[in-house]
Amino acid sequence: MKITTIALNTFKEAKRDRVLYLLFFFVAVCLIFSRFLALLTVGDRVKIIKDVGLASISLFGMLMAILMGTGLVYKEIDKKTIFTLLAKPIHRVEFLLGKYLGLVLTIFIMTVLMTAVFLLILFLHTFTIDWKILLAILYIFFELCLMTAVALLFSTFSSPILATLFSLAFYLIGHLSWSLEMLIKKVKAGAGRVVLQALYIVLPDLENFNFKTEVVHNLPIPTSLLGISFLYGVVYTAFLLLLAMLVFRRRDFI
Amino acid sequence: MEAKIEATVKNNGEKFLSHQRNLLVVFLIISLLLFSFLKIQTDKVVRKKVPGSSIIYLPSGKHLKYMTFGYSSLIADLIYLWAIQYYGTYEIADRFNYLEHIFSIIAELDPKYVDPYEVGALIAVYEAHDPELAFKILDMGLEKNPDMWIFPFQAGHIAQMNLKDFDLAREYYRKAMEIPGAPPITKRLFAHAAFKTTDYQTSWETWKEVYETAEEDWVKEIALNHLYRIKAAVDTEALTEAVKKFQERFGRLPADLNQLVRAGLIREVPTDLDGQEYLYDPQTGEVTPQRVWWKR
Repeated sequence: MKITTIALNTFKEAKRDRVLYLLFFFVAVCLIFSRFLALLTVGDRVKIIKDVGLASISLFGMLMAILMGTGLVYKEIDKKTIFTLLAKPIHRVEFLLGKYLGLVLTIFIMTVLMTAVFLLILFLHTFTIDWKILLAILYIFFELCLMTAVALLFSTFSSPILATLFSLAFYLIGHLSWSLEMLIKKVKAGAGRVVLQALYIVLPDLENFNFKTEVVHNLPIPTSLLGISFLYGVVYTAFLLLLAMLVFRRRDFI
Repeated sequence: MEAKIEATVKNNGEKFLSHQRNLLVVFLIISLLLFSFLKIQTDKVVRKKVPGSSIIYLPSGKHLKYMTFGYSSLIADLIYLWAIQYYGTYEIADRFNYLEHIFSIIAELDPKYVDPYEVGALIAVYEAHDPELAFKILDMGLEKNPDMWIFPFQAGHIAQMNLKDFDLAREYYRKAMEIPGAPPITKRLFAHAAFKTTDYQTSWETWKEVYETAEEDWVKEIALNHLYRIKAAVDTEALTEAVKKFQERFGRLPADLNQLVRAGLIREVPTDLDGQEYLYDPQTGEVTPQRVWWKR
């Protein structure tokens, strides 16, 4: 109950921050870039529209998750409102979970709105709706949930600017972790290789949530991968939130 | 009593916090192990990929340049690196369809970037087996970089080695020769291509110039060998023609080359560059130089 209240308040706060205005930017990017690139390209224009649309949802969602997530805890500490909150019978863990769920709710609503706009644009170009696209968007949302947890973790112990940088680095690492696998193949067996293998497993693999290529090119997606990727997202998010809780419970606000 | 209660509350509170911390750590370790296991499982699932598929959808370089916000050189680098990976992926059967498009994008984004023209031409010739496309890419390079001799030089090499089109090779070598900084070998290749197109006059004059201007002895030797070859070719062709006319006039082959002089078909019997007489076979009418030109 306490968590729900904090979550709903976080959502209201996001609304008050006029975050929904981002939607207009999304519509502008989708409409202008899709049309512009589709005109200039050599090839299938619908493919471009799908690519731009999915990339925009992912990018705008990521920006929201990072920019808002990194300021969530800091703002409460900066404005001293955290003293009022924690003086009440609210545990720090509940406070964090509430903040997290509030932001996830905001991102969910934004993703739904962006998806609606995207499907409409796609429909106006093709006069059909490719429902498979929703699968790619669903996994983009899972990725955004994970990124929100990342932003929240960093916001528990650093300033918003640093937390934003860390979160962006995390995002990049997450999408480039496959290069570690290539490096492992080139490194001779030994301590170095073991360290790299450990890093490869522990570092996030956000490509597990990237089904954009498969959806756009209508490639088969292994069902087992969908299931494992979902579980991976849930467990990794839980891991990040647990870490955030461990850090936050020792945090001094003075 | 009050102090005792306070101590008990404090003690219980610390115990609760410590218990909670331990619980969080346990969950943390469990989740770490679990997502590591799941990560290994996801790696086992094979996903279908379309390597480099998006590269073919790039708009033309002229338009793309405006969308790079001043980072056109960086984008050119990235597309070039991407293109190398793309053309190294043998599973994409139709990857060469967009070769010109991709390399023209790079050329528009960063016209002074030399490597992509060279590599693009190499891919066109040796991977796509399309020399015409290689010429297009290299011509594009020369158009954007008129001071770079390497483009016509490479095009000349492709025309000579891959197409055996010496007229085209000669034209490209000529272009390369005219660009300051072209290596001396360009002139020699031009002279060789001219010889192959039977333009002996140009070939002779160029080799002569090479001989006269060369500083190294081995270059002079090469030039002399080629001059020997040109003179031998000119002389043997003239003698063979005269032998043919002699046969038409007298119904037989001449016994030796002096008979051609006596018949008024040539003014004198020429000798090769070393002053040696040409070999004549009265049975076949064939005229050959005494020495192999490159073994002199």
